[in-house]
Amino acid sequence: MPRPEIKMITFSIDGREVQAPENTMLVDAAKYGDVEIPVFCYEPKLGQPVGACRMCLVEIEGIPKLQTACSTPVKDGMVVHTQTQRVHEAQEAVVEFLLLNHPLDCPVCDKGGECPLQDISFGWGGGRSRFVEPKRHFQKPLELSPLIAIDRERCILCYRCVRYSQEVSEDYQLVLQERGAASYVATFDGHPYVAPFSGNIVELCPVGALTSKPYRFRARPWDIEGAGTVCTMCPGQCNVTLTVRDDRVLRVLARDHEEVDDGWLCDRGRFAYQSFHVDERITSPLVRVDGELRPVPWDHALDVAADALKRAGGAVGALAGGGTTNEEGFLLQRIAREALGSPHLDSQRAPVDRRSLLAIGDPGLQATVPDIEYAHAVLVLDTEPVDEMAILDLRIRKGVRRRRVRLAVASARPSALDGNAALSVRFAPGGGPAFAAELVAAARGEAASDDARAVVDLLRGAGEDVVIVASERVGAALAALADALGLRDRDGAGLIVVPSSANGRGLREVGVLPDAGPGLAPVARPGLHAAEMARAGAEGELTAFWLHGVDPLRDLPYRERWEQALDRATDVIAHAAFLTEGIREHATVVFPVEAYAEKDGTLTHPDGRLQRVRPGIGLQGRNRYGWQVLADLGRRLGLELRVLTAGMALAEVAAAVPFYAGLTQDEIGGRGIRWQEREAASAYPRPEGLPDLAAPTVREGAGLRLGTFRSIWASPEVEHSPALRFLVPRQRVEMAPADADRLGLGDGQRVVVSANGSRVEATVTLRHAVPAGSVFLQDGLVRDAANTLTGSVVEIRPAVTSEVAG
Amino acid sequence: MEKLLFKDIDEPGLNTIDVYRRRGGYERLRKALAMPREAVLNELLASGLRGRGGAGFAMGKKVSFLPKGAMDVYLCCNADESEPGTFKDREIMQKNPHLLIEGIIIAAYAAGANKAFIYIRGEYVLQADILDAAIAEAYAAGFLGENILGSDHSLSLVVHRGAGAYICGEETALLDSLEGKRGNPRLKPPFPANQGLYQGPTLINNVETLSTVPFIIEMGGEEYAKLGVENSTGTKLVSISGHVKRPGNYEIELGMRSRDIIYGLAGGPPDGRKVKLWFPGGSSSPVLTGSDEDLDLPYDFDTMAKAGTMLGSGAIIVVDDSTSVVEVAYKTAYFYRHESCGKCTPCREGTNWTLKMLDRIRKGEATPMDLDIIASVCENIMGHCLCVLGDAMAMPVSSMVKKFRAEFEEEIERRRQEADLASAMPEPELPLIQGAVA
Repeated sequence: MPRPEIKMITFSIDGREVQAPENTMLVDAAKYGDVEIPVFCYEPKLGQPVGACRMCLVEIEGIPKLQTACSTPVKDGMVVHTQTQRVHEAQEAVVEFLLLNHPLDCPVCDKGGECPLQDISFGWGGGRSRFVEPKRHFQKPLELSPLIAIDRERCILCYRCVRYSQEVSEDYQLVLQERGAASYVATFDGHPYVAPFSGNIVELCPVGALTSKPYRFRARPWDIEGAGTVCTMCPGQCNVTLTVRDDRVLRVLARDHEEVDDGWLCDRGRFAYQSFHVDERITSPLVRVDGELRPVPWDHALDVAADALKRAGGAVGALAGGGTTNEEGFLLQRIAREALGSPHLDSQRAPVDRRSLLAIGDPGLQATVPDIEYAHAVLVLDTEPVDEMAILDLRIRKGVRRRRVRLAVASARPSALDGNAALSVRFAPGGGPAFAAELVAAARGEAASDDARAVVDLLRGAGEDVVIVASERVGAALAALADALGLRDRDGAGLIVVPSSANGRGLREVGVLPDAGPGLAPVARPGLHAAEMARAGAEGELTAFWLHGVDPLRDLPYRERWEQALDRATDVIAHAAFLTEGIREHATVVFPVEAYAEKDGTLTHPDGRLQRVRPGIGLQGRNRYGWQVLADLGRRLGLELRVLTAGMALAEVAAAVPFYAGLTQDEIGGRGIRWQEREAASAYPRPEGLPDLAAPTVREGAGLRLGTFRSIWASPEVEHSPALRFLVPRQRVEMAPADADRLGLGDGQRVVVSANGSRVEATVTLRHAVPAGSVFLQDGLVRDAANTLTGSVVEIRPAVTSEVAG
Repeated sequence: MEKLLFKDIDEPGLNTIDVYRRRGGYERLRKALAMPREAVLNELLASGLRGRGGAGFAMGKKVSFLPKGAMDVYLCCNADESEPGTFKDREIMQKNPHLLIEGIIIAAYAAGANKAFIYIRGEYVLQADILDAAIAEAYAAGFLGENILGSDHSLSLVVHRGAGAYICGEETALLDSLEGKRGNPRLKPPFPANQGLYQGPTLINNVETLSTVPFIIEMGGEEYAKLGVENSTGTKLVSISGHVKRPGNYEIELGMRSRDIIYGLAGGPPDGRKVKLWFPGGSSSPVLTGSDEDLDLPYDFDTMAKAGTMLGSGAIIVVDDSTSVVEVAYKTAYFYRHESCGKCTPCREGTNWTLKMLDRIRKGEATPMDLDIIASVCENIMGHCLCVLGDAMAMPVSSMVKKFRAEFEEEIERRRQEADLASAMPEPELPLIQGAVA
């Protein structure tokens, strides 16, 4: 549904004329006149107001009863009073009621000092209680989940958390048990509340009833400082505020940004900060001596790395990923291209050529994140938002639930959004580009499959504003599809392309690509893309690898080939935060990578918003800024990069990428800026046509076709955060019950999945929504990851347990 | 007075369609379906029929509020009769289910609704079974289903059994419960007439209200309006319970003198007892006393409102002088505390607190100051809640404290002594001014 038009009206509050947008709730409208009306249950992010807490009662002339300001839309000429005797008495009464059973244990409560109940009691309460009866008692605190503690005595039953679970994250786990004064928040059958976005309820809670277990008793509000930055753990790039005490991050809170995250965070973003301060983190440069990585002084490490890179020269393969910033990516590609003479650079998991990237990155086809909410229809194509760009999952749900967006999901693996979709279609694993090509054909009125036609009919039938949320790997067809649907230059419609790493779009645009330089400019001599680098390394053509935020064994397909490549390479220079397997076994030099809380740089959001990552804590251990390390390396390799600060690094980027021209840290500021909305956007290269859309055919075979996905929980940050460790996934094979029956396998059974002689062990998970013939394994695991398999058609047989074998 | 709803009520087999039709059943439906919808609605408006569930909102006006449009319109019959003292709907449903069904079909026709539900309280197992059987008969006879009696009016009717929560008789909580959710009241506006069941326009009426509809069609709205008094037209079923000789359901013409109901129809309190207080409209109505002034009030909507109470569901509960007012207040508060859904603060906390204070009075641990707090808490509940359940406790309890303050204070003193506690208000042993006593 398109954005409603906003009309300003005039109303009177406490005797003053105030202008406010028509139909905003009085609570919000009052703020236009600097009048605060206290609330507990009201939270616009949760949708429709419920008027449960009754804290916001105000007097409106012409209405005999007091009205809840949270649920009364403001109208022209309304006369509102918030300071009359009647209102004061009613509000004081509600505070008194709320405090009857509240334990008032503020001195030992985490919320104390930043508690709306404290503030409102102080501001609107009577400061006394007439209640002499025993208070309500519950066992406390209880584990609502391993991440959240619940103290039911402190709860004021505002239902924010329950409404969140029911209407925002739609996990439907939190409910109210019992009724009346005996009501309490719980999961239905007492199981732990585990969901990808569960942590948001801690921040929603207006009292200390829901507290973060990792944060409990770690600090009081007067001990801490807040530092705004951007989470770099996935392309969602949610805005966060770090709670810092004594140079340690103790908590991550959402920093509400309607254009990016809508004020929510996923649990990885909220709790994985623990990994910033664990002993396993690399906080010093390491050099392999006698087969072992040892801490060394910076100069030594830089010398060794520079020598190694110089030796390999044009035979260096450089990869960037993870939270690598635009500045780091830019410096990396300059050094590789200019100092080493190597064109072999990549930042993508699956290769998409320059012409395609140019087409799908075109400003005329770009949608913004809020467009998802206001579109007539949204197509989720070959991506699982909750795993790949978590925060979009909530945004799409919001669009469907509150604004009646028609949702179509086209994917190989059953999606978490299927339940919200008006239409879900499945294609064979790896068939994303092929299905997109079919969609293009259907949109052009050419011959296409029924599924493709049904999707296009749904999108067209819903209205003109269509947003396509798709994985980058779908490639060129996305641009053709957007054009065929008439989305070009249409406000509120277009593409949101989910890249394979957190700053995938930025790395692309600053030139970390084999066939494009900064600004997606063509390069004279294209290099090898990631998969080719693995082959070239295994065959000895590339002799050194330079890995920035990437561990190929963990993050990229073709693990076996990468193992050979890294094994054979003379040198592997890695910039890493953790010693994951590929780094631990193969790196010759390791430079520590700052956690995002220490980083200084910029990222580019998938919708083109440049955002600043700002340091909230000092550099840990002997860490140095990434741009500084690269500048030092460049200097040793004879390339003067003129970078002394992060701001200078950004200036270099802005000078090299025409459509970023003139960008400064000041301009980006705390909220970021979309480059498409700046004048320099006109410097975006003209698209040069699309490669042939004849999509690769999916290989048919006798076995089961393997699809892979990477869970939101499959990351080193999760593994190294004690609170999140319980979520670290183990390999499981998702399959259709029909296939399992045929193979004589049951749910929960241990099996061996094999292809071409490679094998992984997994546990069978039956999912009715998986189409027969497809099976799914996870990538990004420590062991038994899907990239171990060397083929896409697999066989599954029961694992022989050791007891039986013995 | 000629009875309408209770005409033939004790006829054996009236719950079957054959007997009902022999008594003229479903003829009014035939008559209504031959009229244009607007004409039926006009009859309802002309009748002045006010809702019999408790709120007393004009039924015809409610129907006329339904927006016109293409969306599905629903009709919900509120048969969640749970107000203490109220048992009139039960008798209609048990003995004359087809009257209700006929009323629903006609009301649905006037409202343009094609889907109707009867939300019946879970404890009414027998009545729900009877309704189910009657509905099956009505379907078989062609009074329900597609193109009823060859007209363009189609209606499906389903009996939904509640699970035993008083709050589900509140119209919006009823809708939530019917939708399969926890039965909690919704914010109003939007009112059910605009966004009710499944967000569609919904007409919600009480069993008695809908059962009256056939008579309005039969007599004509204007003729019906001649019954009763101005602004309280027609007849009303009154459930009388408590300390009376002949408790039960009686059909009266509105405007009858209250004394004639309590003493005349119900026979008054047992011999030698006096009426101490009475609830005129269910346990949620502020109490009236046994004074002549109160007993002589005409029993109609406006008079009751003017007397500071309400006609409510028409359930008169009589309490005689053998019962302590403290116990009455406690039982009343207990019920509402138990049934408060917990959604809004004043009701959830206020009912709980009030009950605890009343309990302390019973245990002899209170002081007269607690009466002031009770009154103040009730004051803080009233008008501040999401629905009227909080008020339903605050109104009767505060009226009892106000009208029987002296008895409360005596009880507090007496029970303190029984509990072996010191007097709350010790008598000074010596005169305060020496020598003042001659």
